Amino acid sequence: MEADQSASKEAESCIDLLVIVLDTNPSQHFVRQNPQNLTQILEAVIAFGNAHLMQKAQNKLAVVSCSHHATNFLYPLPRRQVELRQMDGQYEAFNLVEKTVKQQLGSILMNAPRLSAPCESLLAGSMSMALCYISRLQRNLAPGVKMHSRILVLTGSNECASQYMTFMNVFFTAQKLGITIDTCALDKTLSLLQQGCDITSGQFLKVTQLDGLLQYLLWVFLPAPQIRHKLVLPPPPKVDYRASCFCHRELIDIGYVCSVCLSVFCKYSPICTTCHTIFKNPGPLPIKGKKKKKTDKQM
Amino acid sequence: MADTKSGSGRHSAAGGSGNTVLSPLGQGPANLECKDFQEYLRTRQTPESLEKLYNYPPICLAVFRELPEIARQFIIRILFVDQPVPQAVVTSWGAQRCAKEQAEATSCLTALNVWRVTAIPGGLSAWELSPTFKKSVRQVLLGGGKPWPMTNTLDKDSKPRDIAFLDTYAMSRWRCVLHYMVGTGNRSGTDAEAISPDAVRILLHANLMKRDERDGITITRQGFQFLLLDTRAQVWHFMLQYLDTCEERGISLPECLSMLFQLTQFSTLGRDYSSEGMNNQMLTFLQHLREFGLVFQRKRKEGRFYPTRLALNVTSKEAAATASVAMDEEATQDCGYIVVETNYRVYAYTDSPLQVAVLGLFTELLYRFPNLVVGVLTRDSVRQALRGGITAEQIVSYLEQYAHPNMRMVESAIHSKSCLPPTVVDQIKLWELERNRFTYTEGVLYNQFLSHTDFVTLRDYAQSIHMLVWQNERTRTMVVQKNGHDDVKRYWKKYSKSGV
Repeated sequence: MEADQSASKEAESCIDLLVIVLDTNPSQHFVRQNPQNLTQILEAVIAFGNAHLMQKAQNKLAVVSCSHHATNFLYPLPRRQVELRQMDGQYEAFNLVEKTVKQQLGSILMNAPRLSAPCESLLAGSMSMALCYISRLQRNLAPGVKMHSRILVLTGSNECASQYMTFMNVFFTAQKLGITIDTCALDKTLSLLQQGCDITSGQFLKVTQLDGLLQYLLWVFLPAPQIRHKLVLPPPPKVDYRASCFCHRELIDIGYVCSVCLSVFCKYSPICTTCHTIFKNPGPLPIKGKKKKKTDKQM
Repeated sequence: MADTKSGSGRHSAAGGSGNTVLSPLGQGPANLECKDFQEYLRTRQTPESLEKLYNYPPICLAVFRELPEIARQFIIRILFVDQPVPQAVVTSWGAQRCAKEQAEATSCLTALNVWRVTAIPGGLSAWELSPTFKKSVRQVLLGGGKPWPMTNTLDKDSKPRDIAFLDTYAMSRWRCVLHYMVGTGNRSGTDAEAISPDAVRILLHANLMKRDERDGITITRQGFQFLLLDTRAQVWHFMLQYLDTCEERGISLPECLSMLFQLTQFSTLGRDYSSEGMNNQMLTFLQHLREFGLVFQRKRKEGRFYPTRLALNVTSKEAAATASVAMDEEATQDCGYIVVETNYRVYAYTDSPLQVAVLGLFTELLYRFPNLVVGVLTRDSVRQALRGGITAEQIVSYLEQYAHPNMRMVESAIHSKSCLPPTVVDQIKLWELERNRFTYTEGVLYNQFLSHTDFVTLRDYAQSIHMLVWQNERTRTMVVQKNGHDDVKRYWKKYSKSGV
């Protein structure tokens, strides 16, 4: 009981950092359907971010936008914050978040290059940026202060198998640093991000109706990972752990793995394209099987 | 037939010692109790007055942050739901194994009148957020409604004050109050002015000081305990006492609280705020805050003021601990001057009579130099402090709080919890435990049993209902807890009747 109390006290005193990675790529399905949807999502994200800040005085928030060409910080801004006076009953810190995020996103969207064809979002890149930000804050902490960090990805993009390597690096880095990755998929089930959530023990949720988005966010993603065990949250879905091959960037069930660098290929090639190892015995699979049997007999 | 003697039986739990003098526990003035905000609301406020408080968004936000973690999640989830939510549904949100914690959260929400029970069609009982609370929290989160007071737009201050200036200002004001308490304020020329009659009234009301026979004012035992608290706790305690007296002054409590929270939790250090549009009562309140150093205002009439660090995060200890160190621009240099060595020597680099006086409460001072005081923690000096009602916890926390930065370096090097030498901490605690060899239990003495069997039967019965405090077979004497006396007496009557 006492240990429980001290643990909860500790949880109260540490800093909770939430980094929201928001996909603003115009080629997302819901944006093409109706550009208004992005505004709606933005409102929900801002309200969610403020709800996080509302939990505790020492909670921190960062919002990163991710598009097909660049990743930008929407909040906080590196230079001195703009002077804002309260306009209505909203708490001035929340007002600052809302104004800054909207203003930044507006200027980013205005300056974005025109899209000729649908492009992939640079999600993995944005997530690495979020990781870098977290690790910088972590390093600058005063001694004795603890910080728990997590990343929430909101995206309506398709599966980005071409970023497989970057994704995996991000996931394992996050796991090592003890950072939880949560994902809210707005369109399709994303198996790669699902893997990431599973690896870092975060939540993955597919929201099909944008109307109730805020309520979903508040329910599933607002509780800090440390207290999630006290609440009933959606059970973890079955995770598709397929890897993507390095040659065509497609998800495969069975493939060839380089014995030196563990790269995955869907077709056999005599030289590994990643580490340039030359494989000596280019034999088809059945022969390999026979050889194995022979060695078995010798033994 | 056995006589039963009723009375307060004394019992020494540890046996051993022959010392049976009652300690003055409970006779002297009560120890200083420090409430946190939640406790304050629960004990001092009725549901109606709470409802009145919830009209002020800053208070709602402060209350929300004080709630247990699970309670906060519940509130957030029903914040945007317009109908009452069935209780069963709310219960299903929490995991089974944390049912106890959940029950605590629920009762806390009810106690603070944040939500209440209503019936919904179908005969189920449901939770409904207090409409005022709901409206205020929504407003804080999403906007709308009227702006908070003191946020009017101001032109740029021609002579803006930086944070370092505010820090020194605030601390010098606050020390003024403390110096007054130990009676050094008037003599030392540094903190020139004495404090106002209003502040004195609060000190008297809070029992931190009292009038003595010669109509002078002296510090009380609680006052000494107050001095040992850290500055944050001091300010908070002081403000609570102030709030108690504010109705008498004709200042409205909700407005006061709202402004206090806005200042303490939701304002930014180093920013100027406007006092425009405040009524006279609030302006008086502001002047009081100014006097204690919670805000800085250049002139009485100026419509601009700065909150100081003293005001920030005054309500919650945890928040203050991290917030002050996590601040991006680090400026807290006010801290440590005490070095404690493993040989119980205490070196304090200070020339302030206040700090020396406080240190003198629990150390034996050996030498004084212009900038250094050397003392030693001895059993006698610590016991003297303990007798004065100061706890070991308070001594240790005082030493920790003002530990020299070099001691903190050691702390981060060895990753121990406290920056003091563990031996010293343990010894101080042991000295305190030494005094607690007795526990006092009210009881009833049974003696003069006629036979050994009578005695044994009754003793075994008392033991079986866990009411026996002490017994001696040879003298056939036993002591039973007072609340068990009726039971045992009844048993005895039944036994003696059936026996005869």
